[in-house]
Amino acid sequence: MSESTALSMTDSADNDDLQDWLVARVAEHLRMPAADIRPDVPLSDYGLDSVYALSVAAEIEDHLGFAVDPTMMWDNPTIEALLAAIGEERARSGAA
Amino acid sequence: MTTALATTAGPARLHALESALGDPFADDNPLGLRAVLEADERGEMFEAGEQALHEYGLGAEFVPTAFGGRLDRLDHLVEIMRSVYRRDPCLGLGYGASSFIAGVNLWTAGDEEQCRHAAELLCSGRRVAVAYHELAHGNDMAGTEFTALPGPAGLVLNGRKEIITNVRRAEALVVFARTAQRPGSRSHSQLYVDKSRLPGGHLTHLPRYRTSGMRGVQLGGIEFRDCPLPESAVLGTMGHGLENALRSFPVTRTTLVSMFTGVVDSALRTTLSHVRGRRLYGRTAADLPHIRSVLAAAYSDLLTADCFATVATRALHLLPAQTPIYALAVKFFVSKTLMDVMNQLSAVLGAHFYLREGPAAGFQKLLRDIQPAGFGHAARAACQVSLLPQLPLLARRSWLGETGAPAELFRPGADLPAFDFRQLVISAAGRESLSTSLAAGLAAMPNGTGPAYTALRAHGEHFAGELVDLAEECVSLSPAELSVGAGSHTYDLTTRYVKILVAAACFETWRHARGTDAAFLADPAWAAAALHRLRTPLGTPRPSLPGHLEQPLWDELLDRCARSKGLGMLPRPLAGSHG
Repeated sequence: MSESTALSMTDSADNDDLQDWLVARVAEHLRMPAADIRPDVPLSDYGLDSVYALSVAAEIEDHLGFAVDPTMMWDNPTIEALLAAIGEERARSGAA
Repeated sequence: MTTALATTAGPARLHALESALGDPFADDNPLGLRAVLEADERGEMFEAGEQALHEYGLGAEFVPTAFGGRLDRLDHLVEIMRSVYRRDPCLGLGYGASSFIAGVNLWTAGDEEQCRHAAELLCSGRRVAVAYHELAHGNDMAGTEFTALPGPAGLVLNGRKEIITNVRRAEALVVFARTAQRPGSRSHSQLYVDKSRLPGGHLTHLPRYRTSGMRGVQLGGIEFRDCPLPESAVLGTMGHGLENALRSFPVTRTTLVSMFTGVVDSALRTTLSHVRGRRLYGRTAADLPHIRSVLAAAYSDLLTADCFATVATRALHLLPAQTPIYALAVKFFVSKTLMDVMNQLSAVLGAHFYLREGPAAGFQKLLRDIQPAGFGHAARAACQVSLLPQLPLLARRSWLGETGAPAELFRPGADLPAFDFRQLVISAAGRESLSTSLAAGLAAMPNGTGPAYTALRAHGEHFAGELVDLAEECVSLSPAELSVGAGSHTYDLTTRYVKILVAAACFETWRHARGTDAAFLADPAWAAAALHRLRTPLGTPRPSLPGHLEQPLWDELLDRCARSKGLGMLPRPLAGSHG
């Protein structure tokens, strides 16, 4: 197994963890079962309000240890989009 | 008109305005309360007052100096507007505040050309209305139905805006509109609409709304039907309306409610004058111990509210990134405190607060006019709901810290760095340093003696301990308890937090006044009184003050009224010979 494959497998395991963690945050806030939250549906469709979306950004910061834009969730309104944006931020903060 | 005052400092402009408007309590003053009341009885704006404000050039106070206006310090703007509010809140809102809110949107998000255009209107005494509100959605801005969707030549406006101050008389509007159909937080924009450039036939004005207070203010509505508007009318980035609004709110929420302290200033003077002139049971009502207690407590509450508002206004210059939190707290606390004071004073006036004639007739108008402090621009409950989800984050990031805010925050009237609208942020991200200033201030508390000093220390320690308790409770709050569906116990956590902020503001303002020539602020009595009243458990009536705290407040109230000095943190000289 090449080094790069191992790396991307770790990344994808991380990503699964992160996805589960994110979905759990949102599900708790909305009092919904996590299984009912689909990664490709805008979270506002489930009733997630804009103010809570701001505090999710801070929770992401505390969980991952790097700064993210407070409006990250406004610009990336689905779980899928949010994970992609976090990936980019992570690369940027790692590169910096 | 505007040039003569352009380079004058705030206190000098305040003096110029006070001189132009004269003693509000003099019956023969054509700009006094008597004339204000007559206009109110007719449900009209006070025309002579509007003319006087026009001559003073009040609109220029809302325009940053960079665009040719006089706005360089928000604390000075508040003081100047208090001079208007203490005479006629309708003028305050109707001539002033609504154009200021519109302006803040522009200075925060508009481009150079939009800002220049609005600045010219305001500096020449014309108006810009701010059209956010739709009756069906209240403070739920994301629910906005008014649309500005892409059309053949830019945008097409459709929908209604309701209960908008001056919408008919304004030359331009800032409209909050849905610019994308999808739900979410990037689907709205502010539009700067110059009425004179709209094609005819697409715009209807709705009839005026009648109200129980602020009766002179022209609240109207507007309806657009397929009205074309160039895309260049959007303020800032298309779709960033909610972000722009949240960035503007720290300024508007803090300063607008702070202006209302002028109303209570007049109400307190009116009540004091009444009880000193009224003879009951062989002495004046002012000699009755209970009456004194109520008035001294009312004065204490006014000072407390003003202290917190002043600190939060200074924070806009000094700690702008923290102000999204303070603004919510100010709107929530100051509005309620001011309204409570008005109700306490109405009980002292008895039947006279109800009369629409006689020397105390102004009071019933002030009581009606102050009500929008609690719901106008943002409702108190909406501020609580916005604070709620931030509590766990605040607990984690701020409340367990040990550093306090810089000393400049607590020096009313002292110099401030320039204010930059572009530095406003959407969220404090759980970071503020006012609450922890209390423990830091206690640790640095200078030695002292006497009952007021001892009381202040004890109350200060109580609130510092309260912050530790609150942090423990909030760190582990479940996310489900942080939304609009939260239980009332959770809402109470926001109230407890806000009281700690207020206590910190008062304690630190006292501590930093020591050694200055502000003798009253340097005495611990007012701050001890403030914390004493704040300590009341939720839902119980506030206790009256112990005699050793009541007496200095009563003396100060009498002295300032006799010498026509402002009743806030700063005893500014005001027009009048009222005693």
